Amino acid sequence: MAKKLVAIVKLQLPAGKATPAPPVGPALGQHGINIMGFVKEYNEKSSSQAGSIVPVEISIFSDRSFSVKLLTPPAADLLRKASGAAKGSGTPNRTSAGQITREQLRQIAQQKMPDMNALDIEGAEKVISGTARSMGIKIVD
Amino acid sequence: MTWLELSVSADNEAVEAVSEVLARFGYNGGVVVEPAWTPGDEGPEFRYDPARPATLRTYLPLDAQSEELRQRIEQALWHLGQMRPIGPLQVRALEEEDWANAWKQHYSVLRVGQRIVIVPSWLEHTAAPDDIVLHLDPGMAFGTGLHPTTRLCLALLERHARPGQRALDLGTGSGILAIALAKLGAHPVVALDNDPVATQVAAENVRLNHVATSVNVATGSLGAGARMGHWLSGNFGDEDTQAATDPSLPSPAVTTTFDLIAANLIARVLCILAADLATTLAPGGILISSGIIDSREPEVHTAFEAVGLQQLARYQEGEWVALVHTRKEENEQQNSS
Repeated sequence: MAKKLVAIVKLQLPAGKATPAPPVGPALGQHGINIMGFVKEYNEKSSSQAGSIVPVEISIFSDRSFSVKLLTPPAADLLRKASGAAKGSGTPNRTSAGQITREQLRQIAQQKMPDMNALDIEGAEKVISGTARSMGIKIVD
Repeated sequence: MTWLELSVSADNEAVEAVSEVLARFGYNGGVVVEPAWTPGDEGPEFRYDPARPATLRTYLPLDAQSEELRQRIEQALWHLGQMRPIGPLQVRALEEEDWANAWKQHYSVLRVGQRIVIVPSWLEHTAAPDDIVLHLDPGMAFGTGLHPTTRLCLALLERHARPGQRALDLGTGSGILAIALAKLGAHPVVALDNDPVATQVAAENVRLNHVATSVNVATGSLGAGARMGHWLSGNFGDEDTQAATDPSLPSPAVTTTFDLIAANLIARVLCILAADLATTLAPGGILISSGIIDSREPEVHTAFEAVGLQQLARYQEGEWVALVHTRKEENEQQNSS
């Protein structure tokens, strides 16, 4: 019998370095999860990617057991790396932070595809180009 | 300690961009995303609802800088808001106690293995005659009995623990395995943990279960483990930092050997400790190792084999593996060498 899913939470954390401090504590404590149980599991699973931000999806079930699934790096991180921009533009509607090519956009969309709600690669590209725009990163041919 | 929780709602396409802003200013770069979904959905059929906005949160410690950080986040979000619909930034203060104990109300009596019953210290439970009842308040330590790594260990202790065994629980956390060992008759039981918060919690749980005459809780580890540092320190167990880490961690002189060792750790640490575990295990003794994620199981096999530990059994729950090993008797070792 499938256990009933009561909540899903996604967290972005530095790989291997989760602690019970925020955001982990408040995000999971309210859902009835033993915080240390999550910390141990996340750090073990993500330790090989130390130095990166590794988002994680936590499914919480009615008996307060949970499952932890590591996700692909944030699109914002991939865009930053591809464009060489140190960070997104603070004023994306006015100033540009950098640019990427259509080819780079496709590569990022392919990498992110497993974690996206997009139906096909074009849909994924559309979402990622939206993220790029809102960071002030232009897409050029 | 007081924290500020900053929340904002954003549509699906803006989630990544808003995360980027929050991660830039939030504590430890941490961001929480709660996607919209339809409650009542069951596991495999679960679907996100991408048409509705998601809620994003980040946290700031309340101090002299928090107001400036909040303003900078608000400004950055305002600019994003010119391009995509983004809700107003909401702020509330949060105390550490608000979440440290929040999970307790969801924690109930739990049956593990054949006879073990874990009862939260704040609940009443009428035990059946054969039950082995563990009263537990895990607090901020690992080991509630809910996690598969702990459950596997408890079931294996039930199978292998015998009255009068000298036992060691390495990485005791809440003390759950050490207490189970004592209640299954092991005596004496040594419970070690690198984390002083854990040993404090474990000592309290030992007292709660009236097994203080059997269980000796101490802060420390075995051999190489004593140089590993705190398990949340970020460079825990890194080979190259081991020599450089704080040597002040007490290493209790574990000179005796044990008939049964429970080590619910992680694969990497089990590998580092392999030689110490082998020398601390009495000939013919049983080593129960857990916390091994299946993808890293081969590393543990290699490390344990290299120090002469012989695998007796293997159990798996989800992606977590527990192993049972023994150490060959002295004469067998001589024959085989």
